[in-house]
Formats: sequence, C-alpha cells, structure tokens
Amino acid sequence: MLVDFELIKRAQNKDSVAFNEIVLAYRKRILGTITRLIARSEDVEDVAQEVFLRLYFSLDQLRTPEVFEPWLYRLTVNAAFDYLRKQRRRQEFRMSDLSEQQVLMADATAGSKVEHEEQTKKKVRESVDSLLGAVSEADRILLMMKEVEGLSLKELEKIYKVNENALKVRLFRARQRVLKAFGAAGKKEGPG
Amino acid sequence: MSMRGNEDEKLDALFRAYRKACPDPEVSANFMPTLWARIDSRQTFLFSFRRMANAFVTAAVALSVALGVYLSIPRSTPGTPPETYVEVLAAANPLDTPDIVSPAVRVDPNGR
Repeated sequence: MLVDFELIKRAQNKDSVAFNEIVLAYRKRILGTITRLIARSEDVEDVAQEVFLRLYFSLDQLRTPEVFEPWLYRLTVNAAFDYLRKQRRRQEFRMSDLSEQQVLMADATAGSKVEHEEQTKKKVRESVDSLLGAVSEADRILLMMKEVEGLSLKELEKIYKVNENALKVRLFRARQRVLKAFGAAGKKEGPG
Repeated sequence: MSMRGNEDEKLDALFRAYRKACPDPEVSANFMPTLWARIDSRQTFLFSFRRMANAFVTAAVALSVALGVYLSIPRSTPGTPPETYVEVLAAANPLDTPDIVSPAVRVDPNGR
C-alpha cells in the first residue's frame, strides 16, 4: 500500500487534502498501467483522470481500506475497458503492414542509437497491440494485467471478484487466441 | 508440442519487451488542476440534478396532499341535490302517481 488507512478514511469523509495525497501517491502507477492497457499515449491522462474521478465519487462505498488497491485497480480496469469499447480499435485497423511501413520510414530518418531504440520499442508496442486485437477488450485487459502488469491470480481474483478457476480458464483461452495470432504473424513474416 | 512451448516463450518475451517499451509515463503539470476541474464540474452537475429531483419530489408530495384534501372534503355545493339517485327518483315519481304504481289498467264497474 502506498498510503495508510487513515488517509483513505479521511478521503472518504471528503477531505480534499487527503484525496489529493492519494492521487499523488498512485497517479504514476495508474498512468503506467493505463498506458499498457490502452496503448494510446495521447489519451492516457484522460482515462487516468476518469479513474480518479470515479474514485472520488465512490470512495464512500469502500467498506474496508484494506481492499483499497484491488478496488482502485478495478476502477482502472473498468475505465480502460470503457475507453477501449468506445474506441473499437481492432487488429484490422492497425495492421502490422502499416506499422512496418512506419518503421521503415522512421528507420530511414532515424540516425542515432536512441532513435533506433525508440523505434524498436514502438515496433514492440504495435506488435503487442496488434496481437491483442485477436481477443475481446475484456480479455485484452485481463491478459495485460496478468502477463504485463504481473498481477497474481489471487490479486486478479480480488479485482474481478470471480474465482481462480474461472480466471484460469479465461486466461488460457485468451492466451491461446493470442498465440494463434502470434503464430500466424510469425508465418507471415517468415518467408518475407 | 515443443513448437508450442517455443511460441509460448516467445510470447512471454514479447510481453516482457512490451513492459519495458511502455514505462510509467511522466505526469503532466496540468493533471491535478484538470482533475479537480472535472470533479467540480461533475459535482455541480450532480448538485443541480439532486436539487431538481428534490424539487420534483416535493412538488409531487404537495400535489398528492392537495388532491387528498380535495377528495376528503364532503361535497355541499348548493346546486347539487343532497339525496341519492333512488331518493331523487322516488321524489319525482311518488307512490301515489297512478302511471307508476298502477299503470293503465282501470276496471270500469259499469262495464264501459
């Protein structure tokens, strides 16, 4: 926990100073998670603000401060899900061909090592983003929370409020779909 | 089987690379002011909505009470007869009225 229970209780009583402290403590972590969940840097702050906005208006519903973090993650997951659903950004829209073309163009202009590293990172981001187009928005977020954010099944259980076995099945199916897309992308790139 | 395992490892590596490629971003200076502006805006909206809902509920209660009072007052308007329908009918056609009580049949003792 990045904040103590007392601070959460004060924020629950609409203490704006306490709420400010909570936001300051968690904003970077939440922004990072959202960055990886939605893969669109220009909208990250907007979604993060939506998370904290929801937090402000629903903090009084939190019964025990002990579950604050899973609860905040739940708000984050929901906000990211709403964003992705609105965007309807699917794999077809961000075809790997397009990203390759962009990379080629950027490679032609990029001279320094830093720029080259940045391009590599960009390519990784676009590849993962494209692969995750093979699953639904909800499964994409679940996979990200597990594989990229590194949350355990126990932690996910608290966030999603479903039992571990159901999560395992859902994760397995989502991963299989991504693996299938990954294999197909590998074959596509292989001969060329 | 080993092929599948190999792809699994590659995917894991890709996810790890993705984690490194997406570090926690720096927060802009406008983050907190914008957040508070949005909170204030939402609060104002909620306050107006709540006030409107309260006004509506108050008006509905007042109307119900007024209607209840109106219906509970006994009607004593001068133009309205106090009797029931049967009483009014009986008053208009008293029992000694031949047409009602013993209509039409009259026996003439002389046979005419």
